[in-house]
Amino acid sequence: MARAAEFVRRFEVPTRLAHWALAVPFLLLLLTGLTNYLPRLKALAIGGFRVFAWAHVLLGFAMVVIAVLVVLSLLRSRSMRGDAEVLAAFGDDDVRWLEHEAMALAGQRTATPRVGKFNAGQKINAAISALATIGLLGTGVILGINTFSKSVFTVGITGMTFSWHTLLALATIPVVLGHVYLAALNPATRESLRGITRGFVRRDWAMRHHPDWTTHASEHELPPEHR
Amino acid sequence: MASGSLISRAKFLGLMAAGGVLGYGGVLVGQRSIEGWRENTVEVPTPKFDPTAYRLTIDGLCEQPFTLTYDDLRGLPAVTQVSDFHCVEGWTVPDVKWQGVRLQQIIDRAKPSKDARYITFHSMGGIYRDSLALQQAQLPDALLAYDMDDARLPQDRGAPLRVVMPRMFGYKGAKWLRRIEFRDDQDIGYWEDRGWRVDAWIKA
Repeated sequence: MARAAEFVRRFEVPTRLAHWALAVPFLLLLLTGLTNYLPRLKALAIGGFRVFAWAHVLLGFAMVVIAVLVVLSLLRSRSMRGDAEVLAAFGDDDVRWLEHEAMALAGQRTATPRVGKFNAGQKINAAISALATIGLLGTGVILGINTFSKSVFTVGITGMTFSWHTLLALATIPVVLGHVYLAALNPATRESLRGITRGFVRRDWAMRHHPDWTTHASEHELPPEHR
Repeated sequence: MASGSLISRAKFLGLMAAGGVLGYGGVLVGQRSIEGWRENTVEVPTPKFDPTAYRLTIDGLCEQPFTLTYDDLRGLPAVTQVSDFHCVEGWTVPDVKWQGVRLQQIIDRAKPSKDARYITFHSMGGIYRDSLALQQAQLPDALLAYDMDDARLPQDRGAPLRVVMPRMFGYKGAKWLRRIEFRDDQDIGYWEDRGWRVDAWIKA
């Protein structure tokens, strides 16, 4: 029987919803986009419509709407705004955390730096993901319009846009793989997955990975089955 | 963790190595893909070309239908042209060097009859077709290409022979060409049948 003190609340519903509302179409867009390198899959068509190409275009436009809704909900949700503000704040402690990890790599043991709700790696992941998403949606809208009409943009513009869209998409692959590995597979860090699915994490794990945040998180709610 | 690190040193090292490999792979893929070809085909499997058995048939509404072997083709007066390739999907491959035979030369030899106003290009797979107006095929940059970038046309680029119309979108460039047919009506090509324009002129 778990004791109440074993869990801390990590993410409220708006943050979790926003994460998955962006993550699921992002992954589907990445996978459908990669069929550009798999000619046989790319050629798969139903009634003359290429399945992956059209799924990519329609999902892309849907994601523009989703991204706008997420930005708007940032204005409405205090908890989500709080998460965003902490993610965007990169300070001396974050530099120290990166140094600490780099020193550990070089075999040097240094004092564990202060870590709040997010470490520097998580902040960098969030920044790269956000910037890449904005860039991909911006270039994607141009290419999406080009799908329906060839008379809006010149081939000079679409060619350049296609190159940037490709470059950004390929650049996100190692970031996404690293994010999924650390969140779902790596034994030391995978407890964090529960934070973004069910909203809470084990307190002892949080104490080790996000000590400054955890000590201030005593008032957080408990998971339903422990209430 | 013994080191006080959030993840063990070995794991961090492993992550960095994996990141390095992925990054390096990404650069290699990136270089090839950002301004490279994205193969589009509706003929699966990709038609295979046997240089000894290959015949290009030129027929339809013309006075002198004829066939060419692969060696015949390469024996015809060759021209080289450098042009950008624009796909209707939005991507571009700049400065592609094509070598081959002018369509005009084939037309002159076949002597199309008075009724012949269009040409249909048939692909070896039997699925893909596209067409040009005779006047379009007689343009000075209309080419039948057998070499690309100083090498034999690769299998997935349309070996042994493809149509190159630099000022039209790439779907006008039928690949794996086996038959050139003179007609009095314009054949609706594969992609035209699915909504793309018959005259695929590019907005420059």
